[in-house]
Amino acid sequence: MDKLKLRQICFLFAAVLPVTKLIIYPSTLSYYAKNDLLLSAAVSFLAEGVVVAAVMLLARRTRCTLYDLLQNTFGQVTAKVVYLLLAAFLFFSSLLPALEQKNFVTQILYENVPSYLSFTPFFAVCCFACVKGFKTVGRMADVAMPIFAIAFAVLILLAVPHADFGALQPTGAAGARGIFSGSLFGLPWFSECLYPLLFLGHFGYEKGGLWKVLLSFFIGAGAVLLLLAVFYGIFEDLSILTQYPLAHIAKYSTAGTTLGRVDFFFVFALTLVYIFCLCLPLQLCVHCIRKAFPRLAPLLPALAVNAALLALTVLFNYSFNAVQTFYMRYAFPVFLLFSYALPLCSLLLRKTPRGEGGREPDGQTARHERRRTRSPRAKERARRRQQEEHTPPQAKERVRIPRARRKEGA
Amino acid sequence: MKKLGAKPEENISAVKAVLAAEDVLVYRFKTGDGRACAAVYADGITDKELLGELVAKPLSLAKAPKSREEAKKLLYFPELKDADDAESACNEILAGNPALFIEGVAGAIVLGTKKIAVRAIAEPQTAITVKGPREGFIEDLKTNMGLVRRRLKTPALRLETSEVGKYSRTAVSVVYLDGITDAHIVQQVKERIAAVEIDGVPDSSYIAQFLAKKPYSLFKQVGTTEKPDIFCAKLLEGRVGVLVDGSPIALTLPYLLVEDFQSAQDYFVSPYRATISRFLRLAAVCIALFLPAFYVAAQLFKLQILPFALLLTVSGGIQGIPLSPSLELFFLLVVLEILIEASVRMPKYVALALSVIGALVLGDTAVKAGLVSSPAIIIVALSGIAAYTVPDLTGTLSVVRIAYVVVAGSIGTYGVLLLTALVLYYLLSSDEYGAPLLAPFSPLVRRDLKDSLLKADIYALRRRPAVLHSKNRTRLRVKNKEKESENG
Repeated sequence: MDKLKLRQICFLFAAVLPVTKLIIYPSTLSYYAKNDLLLSAAVSFLAEGVVVAAVMLLARRTRCTLYDLLQNTFGQVTAKVVYLLLAAFLFFSSLLPALEQKNFVTQILYENVPSYLSFTPFFAVCCFACVKGFKTVGRMADVAMPIFAIAFAVLILLAVPHADFGALQPTGAAGARGIFSGSLFGLPWFSECLYPLLFLGHFGYEKGGLWKVLLSFFIGAGAVLLLLAVFYGIFEDLSILTQYPLAHIAKYSTAGTTLGRVDFFFVFALTLVYIFCLCLPLQLCVHCIRKAFPRLAPLLPALAVNAALLALTVLFNYSFNAVQTFYMRYAFPVFLLFSYALPLCSLLLRKTPRGEGGREPDGQTARHERRRTRSPRAKERARRRQQEEHTPPQAKERVRIPRARRKEGA
Repeated sequence: MKKLGAKPEENISAVKAVLAAEDVLVYRFKTGDGRACAAVYADGITDKELLGELVAKPLSLAKAPKSREEAKKLLYFPELKDADDAESACNEILAGNPALFIEGVAGAIVLGTKKIAVRAIAEPQTAITVKGPREGFIEDLKTNMGLVRRRLKTPALRLETSEVGKYSRTAVSVVYLDGITDAHIVQQVKERIAAVEIDGVPDSSYIAQFLAKKPYSLFKQVGTTEKPDIFCAKLLEGRVGVLVDGSPIALTLPYLLVEDFQSAQDYFVSPYRATISRFLRLAAVCIALFLPAFYVAAQLFKLQILPFALLLTVSGGIQGIPLSPSLELFFLLVVLEILIEASVRMPKYVALALSVIGALVLGDTAVKAGLVSSPAIIIVALSGIAAYTVPDLTGTLSVVRIAYVVVAGSIGTYGVLLLTALVLYYLLSSDEYGAPLLAPFSPLVRRDLKDSLLKADIYALRRRPAVLHSKNRTRLRVKNKEKESENG
């Protein structure tokens, strides 16, 4: 049941994953790149886009999972080790967003300073999601897409009238150093290009899949860039100090005076999407652990991973800045290795098991499968062919006899 | 299994040995040439008048038949069966069909004179419509089958009846359209029903729990309807129906959550009106669920949500209230549930007194006494009314609503969001008989969106819902319309 649709992956990129970049990333980026934050983010998106394209190319060439590819190339033990390392990385990469969300929640959703316990139920929800597997990932994307689209559109519409886009000029004022350091230190927010690699083999590649996924990825990137532009247009030099732009960009709207902070309802909606987003790396982490230890019931790794993350968030409850600095300044090679190098290197992995004549486990090549599922008509042809293959010889005879008679009659 | 012989008294003793109850009676009479006959029947469920008129009368005027075939020619009955052993004769007697023993004729003839007091076909109270059919199912399975057959005059309609219940032996009928319904679903339904070993089945809700894959779930797993027109429409979409003797509520499978937002009337009014109604129902469900929770969260944790003028009104209203907002709302919601429970169960002539007590004493006086605030009463009343726009979800909504208030009172807005995420994850992962509960929204089935919250015009509903995996996907072809569109 761990199957995804290509559409759901598109929705993930267009409407779910961009939310992670809307919390603390804008103010961090404006610290490094100042008014060139759009350029800096665009560089990051381009790099991430290249990786996503590479993974989709790989998906076009094989129907194997990453685990199968690793197993074909290096053997089972290496595949398990890599999956455990991936699980560790995914766990590691979810710590910063977890702390980020905790701070966002405690500062934006409450007037007072709530107890740390207010945040802990998140891990129960996440544990439940982890147990349910990939099926919920895809379906969650279907649900999150309209929520994100409506909430984001309303927030931007409320905020745009107050933005001075002239503040983004002159372009290049931060210099190449500022732009590229913004991109490099922003890597913790650009690790999602790894996800499609883990979805490999769990979704059927369709014709034009590469372009569909890339288009959705760049739609999501466009949404983030638009928010960055509006955010900097409103707060300009104050943007460094203005954390959590989602909660602030629409507060000057005239609707607020008559309706109250109506924008909060849309912030809540985006927070709901953000909850889904934060569950995703942990769901993938549990998936990786279960791949390495297939006999393990999903509940055990789900409980362990969430309990560990809870312990870490408690441990670093008051050290968000230190964690953030560590992730940005010292941990970026880890992100480069797992989110960028690994997906690119996976293109070189062996697509077929050794000594089976270039055929995948079920005896069909990916190209053959792709050719068969190119268009609805091709699908229909394939279905008929399959039906004929499964028709018993006697039944085929029965079909042939009238034809022969018809010819005789003619 | 004791074989029935040719002597009525021995046969009566064999039957009485199994059916010792005093309501199993014996009607003894003689044929025209003086041979003994006896009809054993269960009092109260057998038409005695018919028994006398069409059985005793012709036999007492004629010579005694020598075989069962000869006897059947003398009786004017469309429903006649043979019973060779005491057990099958007893089963028929308990079902209301008397067993007739004739001296010199081996075995028994089962007479179809079942007569059970049934209420008249009326409009169900839970599905009243302004437009459209007003018939509702009743407690008699045969009548319900007839209501379905009247609407689907096709040989493809299959009604497969089996008995469930060790003691109740309730007839349960699986209804589907051959060639339209997915055979796997039919098979699964039949297997699940056949696997049930229970003492009795008082209502179809028992069967619904056996058919549900998660019987402990808070959310509905099986569709229900009391109207034959809705039941038939669902069969035509490719669903499987289950009718249970003694229950006016028919079951349909697979169930999708969106079904509860659709009403029969939506198909009899303009698609625009139907779409607006469905969105109104969705909005009402959101109000019923989230309004009390957000009121509590806004007061306790996030005052900015409320506009300033409203904030002043609310703060004026809650001044001097001894309870916290969450406790106040929780208390009022519990009172609402008690009032609903009482109004359902109490006799109608007490209803007026209840409304006076509910509205005046509990509402107005409680506000005047300073126990609860006016805004809280308004919120609870609105939430309570909103929940009834989707009657089939009311039970679920009232439980989830209380959970939301508790979470909002303890964790605040983030708690509400987390609970929403949890509920969504739960719903997303629920599949029943191959159909996801949240379809066609998640997973997204674009074609099925035409009859989901949106209601497209009738020409757009050419295909059956894809999530039901029907073998025959086309349900509408309009030749003239195609020609019109070809001509431009």
